[in-house]
Amino acid sequence: MAKIKKKGQSGQAKNYITRTQAVKKLQLSLPDFRKLCIWKGIYPREPRNRKKVSKSATASTTFYYTKDIQYLQHEPLLQKFREQKTLEKKISRALGRGDVSDAARLERNAARPDQTGKPRYTLNHVVRERYPTFIDAVRDLDDCLSMLFLFANLPSTSSVPAKMIARCERLCLEFQHYLITSHSLRKSFLSIKGIYYQANIMGEDVLWLVPYKFNQRVVGDIDFRIMGTFIEFYMTMLSFVNYRLYTSIGLKYPPKFDQTKDEQGAELAAISIEGMNIATDGETKAITNGEEQQIDPKVQAQVNKLVKQLKDEANGEKPDEEMAEGDEEEEEKPTDALDKFEPAAPGGDVLLQPSYSGNDPSKLFSNFTFFLSRETPRQSLEFILRAFGCKRIGWDSVLGEGAFTTDESDPSITHQIFDRPVVQAAMDEAEGDGEDNQTSRKLGPSQRYPGRIYVQPQWVWDSVNDEELKSPELYAPGAALPPHLSPFVKPTQGQYDPTIPLEEQQTEGEALDAEIEDATEGQGEEDSEVENDMDVASDNDDEEDEDEEDGPEEEEEEEEEEEEDAALERQHELEAEIAGKTLKSKKVDPKTKAKLDQKKALERKKKEEEEDLERAKGMLSKKKRKLFEQMQYTNNKKSAEDMKLKAKRRKLEKEKAAKKA
Amino acid sequence: MKAKVLDKKRKARDVSSDSESDDELGNGLFDGVLSASEDEEDYIPSDQIEEDDSESENDGTEGSDEDEEDDDALLSDDIPSDDEELSKLEELEITEPGVDPKPKEVEEDERNYRIDKDANGNDRYVYDEIDPVYDSDDSDAQGPVNTIGNIPLSFYDTYPHIGYDINGKKIMRPATGDALQSLLDTIEVPKGWTGLTDINTGNPLNLTDEELEIVRRVQMGLAPDDLIDPYPDTVEWFTSKEEKMPLSAAPEPKRRFLPSKNEAKQIMKLVRAIREGRILPYKPPEEREREAEEQEEVHFDLWQDEEPQAPNPMHIPAPKLPPPGYEMSYNPPEEYLPTQEEREEWEKTDPEERTKEFLPTKYTSLRKVPAWGELVKERFERCMDLYLAPRVRKNRLNIDPNSLLPKLPSPSELKPFPTVVQTIFRGHEGTVRSVAIDPTGVALATGGSDGTVRVWELLTGRQVWSVTLSSDEPVYTVRWRPTKDAFILSAAVGEDIFLMVPTHSSVTPALDQTSRDVLAAGFGYATNGQQAAIPAGKEPAGKWARPGTKLEDEGVLVRITVRSTVKVINWHRRGDHFSTTSPEGQRSSVAIHTLSKHLTQIPFRKLHGIAQAAAFHPSKPIFFVATMRTIRCYDLQKLELIKIVQPGAKWISSIDIHPGGDNLIVGSYDRRLLWHDLDLSNRPYKTMRFHPKAIRAVKYHKGGLPLFADASDDGTLQIFHGKVPNDQLENPTIVPVKQLKGHKVVNQVGVVDIDWHPREPWCVSAGADGTARLWM
Repeated sequence: MAKIKKKGQSGQAKNYITRTQAVKKLQLSLPDFRKLCIWKGIYPREPRNRKKVSKSATASTTFYYTKDIQYLQHEPLLQKFREQKTLEKKISRALGRGDVSDAARLERNAARPDQTGKPRYTLNHVVRERYPTFIDAVRDLDDCLSMLFLFANLPSTSSVPAKMIARCERLCLEFQHYLITSHSLRKSFLSIKGIYYQANIMGEDVLWLVPYKFNQRVVGDIDFRIMGTFIEFYMTMLSFVNYRLYTSIGLKYPPKFDQTKDEQGAELAAISIEGMNIATDGETKAITNGEEQQIDPKVQAQVNKLVKQLKDEANGEKPDEEMAEGDEEEEEKPTDALDKFEPAAPGGDVLLQPSYSGNDPSKLFSNFTFFLSRETPRQSLEFILRAFGCKRIGWDSVLGEGAFTTDESDPSITHQIFDRPVVQAAMDEAEGDGEDNQTSRKLGPSQRYPGRIYVQPQWVWDSVNDEELKSPELYAPGAALPPHLSPFVKPTQGQYDPTIPLEEQQTEGEALDAEIEDATEGQGEEDSEVENDMDVASDNDDEEDEDEEDGPEEEEEEEEEEEEDAALERQHELEAEIAGKTLKSKKVDPKTKAKLDQKKALERKKKEEEEDLERAKGMLSKKKRKLFEQMQYTNNKKSAEDMKLKAKRRKLEKEKAAKKA
Repeated sequence: MKAKVLDKKRKARDVSSDSESDDELGNGLFDGVLSASEDEEDYIPSDQIEEDDSESENDGTEGSDEDEEDDDALLSDDIPSDDEELSKLEELEITEPGVDPKPKEVEEDERNYRIDKDANGNDRYVYDEIDPVYDSDDSDAQGPVNTIGNIPLSFYDTYPHIGYDINGKKIMRPATGDALQSLLDTIEVPKGWTGLTDINTGNPLNLTDEELEIVRRVQMGLAPDDLIDPYPDTVEWFTSKEEKMPLSAAPEPKRRFLPSKNEAKQIMKLVRAIREGRILPYKPPEEREREAEEQEEVHFDLWQDEEPQAPNPMHIPAPKLPPPGYEMSYNPPEEYLPTQEEREEWEKTDPEERTKEFLPTKYTSLRKVPAWGELVKERFERCMDLYLAPRVRKNRLNIDPNSLLPKLPSPSELKPFPTVVQTIFRGHEGTVRSVAIDPTGVALATGGSDGTVRVWELLTGRQVWSVTLSSDEPVYTVRWRPTKDAFILSAAVGEDIFLMVPTHSSVTPALDQTSRDVLAAGFGYATNGQQAAIPAGKEPAGKWARPGTKLEDEGVLVRITVRSTVKVINWHRRGDHFSTTSPEGQRSSVAIHTLSKHLTQIPFRKLHGIAQAAAFHPSKPIFFVATMRTIRCYDLQKLELIKIVQPGAKWISSIDIHPGGDNLIVGSYDRRLLWHDLDLSNRPYKTMRFHPKAIRAVKYHKGGLPLFADASDDGTLQIFHGKVPNDQLENPTIVPVKQLKGHKVVNQVGVVDIDWHPREPWCVSAGADGTARLWM
């Protein structure tokens, strides 16, 4: 006889373990267990059948895989946790004895990550275990970056030590430097939550959110210990990822970090990147602020040769272009000076026609010199401009250190990012045409320098997302900006897309509806004296509504209805004849009538389709039917939203048209 | 010590004894001492030092007293003023005899006091002065000592006295010489003259040579006593000379010349500790911390020897957050902005129930965009999700839902089938309970809740015949006898089943006669006594009788009374038998009636469940009985159960057998229509749900068209195309073709019964709205 199987001895009951059991098994405290789970990436599982897994009645039990917990049992970090526990015991015992000095000594030796921000343990092996290959780590970088960028912007408190924030900030800056030098930033989006960036690293798309530079409000009950645990892991992870990224493009890691510059708010400029081969170039490369533009081409060539296999081809072409560009600029300067006397000089025009050709996004802004007004978000603009090839960015000295120039009147500036309300006088000036900037010589409160393009910050983002320079007129100071669209939305069939004109994406029925509405409205406006027409239309509608309610006789009724319509029409005609009027208005809308007919036909067709659907649905099995209904439910919800959007847009467009008229 | 004291005393005695006579002598002696002091002292042997010291001390102390006395004596001698001289003399005289007469006095009266009167008049003893004589023990008794204390003597300049002695007597100022005398004094400086005045006596203070020497030595910074030798000879305690012979003969121990192993061990321990970094040079804590920090930031390639691993199949990576959509833009397209109502609704809903955590908002420029307050919270929630949310892999079907739908042939290909209502038969009050089209397809019979049976002309809808069978009970069912040779209608009212021959235009007198004959034949049989004898005391299953003349005139010819209310009648194809089903009838719920014999039989002694319907197989001697949940098939010849069909419905309402005999449809009150292929399985071949309400009746088309229909309480009929192929291997095709709507729902009852035309694709339905409708 086969062995009798007992309940709870095999299968699911053995595969799952509750959290309490797990904590007991690991001999940890709950916070330590939480930490371990966070670092090791162990998460609860939902068993297929809760009843089979546990005998307990509580529905809120969390289950883990037994194998996961077994895996945790071999974790070296466990030992650290236990050491910590014994140490704490010792301290408390010493304090209990009143032996304060002993306790203090023990305390001094204790590893207190939450206080000093520096644990005595490292999470290196954990990172390696969780991400056996580098690409795995890159794939999982989204949350890591979002968290680190958030913490880099947090105010330091007792729960978030300043050191931790500084380290986050530094790691983030290092990562940004990599993106700048490797030109791997792809897209960016100004949302109401912050700025989204998307980069392509080793073929993986990484998307993260950077908050706007404001003091972050901490609301609700937020446990910073949990966040801190995550941050610890993420810091370790990003430092290794940064190392790998830097070395992969032949840069030395860690880059030089200038403390004093950082304290002056230099941000990106506080870090200077060095090449790997110190022998060839001891000089620090990176903060490319014009001055280092004129690199000796020989040295550059050497460097290129050395790191050619790692670098992009594009880099090879750089020096020549840069040189050429430098020359151009030098030429420009004198012409600019002349400009003051000859407003017709072509300086501005040349700049308007960007030499940007081909589709290398990394050179989108390479020919320009930007100046950021003091009201613009410097950090994000600097990062995004540099990532897309801009070398010379100046800003107001209020915005911190590291600018190419802090002099707003620098003649080499080609573009100024400008986000101020336009003073009326300036508006009047600007109203002339695009090139008025050159002609106007007045320097009022919102003073403009001739020969440069003033744009609002959104211009940069839209240009980057579309990989082409947008027309600056649309983004001129004070102009109503075109909508800023998310570059991450992938257009799907049948979904509403704000970039496509409405006519192209509305269904036949909708279009008809809209047109009919238009027509009736138009008529109503045109000749309100003839109300018959409106009555007829409304009657029609009513009857149709009724139709829908009582289905079976609809067809007949419809037919009848049509007959009735015809009869009515005839009657109207007769009446008109008697009254001696011409029934013009009635005859004006054969178009509308045709459309109404069309609509009716459409409706009929729709009804038939619905019937067919009903028939087919009845033949489905229960399971499939449920599934079908679910899918249809979501689809309907989506399409309802789309419909709403379309309706709103239609309304808006109509309003706009009315305004124009 | 005793000797010393004695010595002192002796000396004092000497001094005092010599007090007067020694003045000159003493001075002279002092002179000698002064002149030869050094020499003399030098020669004093070391043994006598002590004595000398004591002596010198004595000399020092007593000397001064002597000096005073000397001075006094001198002064008195040299410049004797009369008074003083006298007093002195007196004193001397008093004292001198005082020594001697003392014993005398004691002897005389032994009283050395006087009795005075004090202030109160009491006696006061005033003792005589005690004169300390030489032998007296009182060493303190000295010459008159000035007791004015430590005040300048100049205070007494205006007085003749200079102070008071111990007895309060004035110490008179010593007589000063005249100017010449003083001049002389200045010229002849007396020995030991200092020019100072003794504070106690007021005499010029003279110092002895010894004293002057002491003063001088002190001034020189030397020891005051020249007896102390500041440079004594060294005494060699340890010889500087090397001894030739060793003190001990023991051999030299090893430790003297071998390095210590133990020490080496200790040192090596330290060395090792330093090498291993266990011992570190001291650093201030800040520096140490900084170094630790630097050390911690180790940079290396973690993925140096990376090997791609197949991901654990059980691992579910955390889902990424969805990318932001258009509505999240700081400057979204206008149509994404919420309207006023939407905004209000959003604000009204609880933050946790909101579908979107933000309201799309438009900012005209970037500088106006504020910080997103919920960001930290959102991140925190994400963290919580990452480590706390159970991850489940969900397969999301990303397909067009329409692909799930079966491909059905277009109904237009499957014509003919009824689509529209052709005739409406109105006349019944209340529900029309049952409809039946006669085998020729000309007449329609209906039975209603009003207890009437009506016969209509099918195409025109004209009522041709009607009979009221009961005033209070509804006609549950009407069924035609299925053969064309007679025109017989059966109807069930309560416990009665009526058989009748309605008058109709299509009924020829001959046909009418045959019909009547068929019905009447049984009476003869019954009267012939061929019927099986019924056991006494037992009620017969059915009583066949004539319904009475009134009904007979109308054409109702036979009444069969059974034990309980009959709900369903089903005729055998030959028209000789029919079965009735009465759900409340328990044991006798199913009865089979034989028309030719006027015989009623109850085939089942016991039935599982409540019988709902019964039906004959169209070609075989098989009888189907539907209970609430199952359908039982009985072989009528062998009288045994063949199979139990389980449609899975909770409550079967009606069944119908396909004319081919192999298929069966079941309608159930739980809204399902089930198709059974009897050869295939006991379970339904197809389940169809087309109605939101119960299905009351199902019916196959019996005239060769592949149609069937069901009638439901939602007031609709669903027409199906159901083709049963001749080939056994093929499955039947079932296609819903049309839903017929028209009946109104009254009291939640819609269409109650349905029947097909025997040849044409027409059907008739009976509704709760009091109408019957012909669909074609």
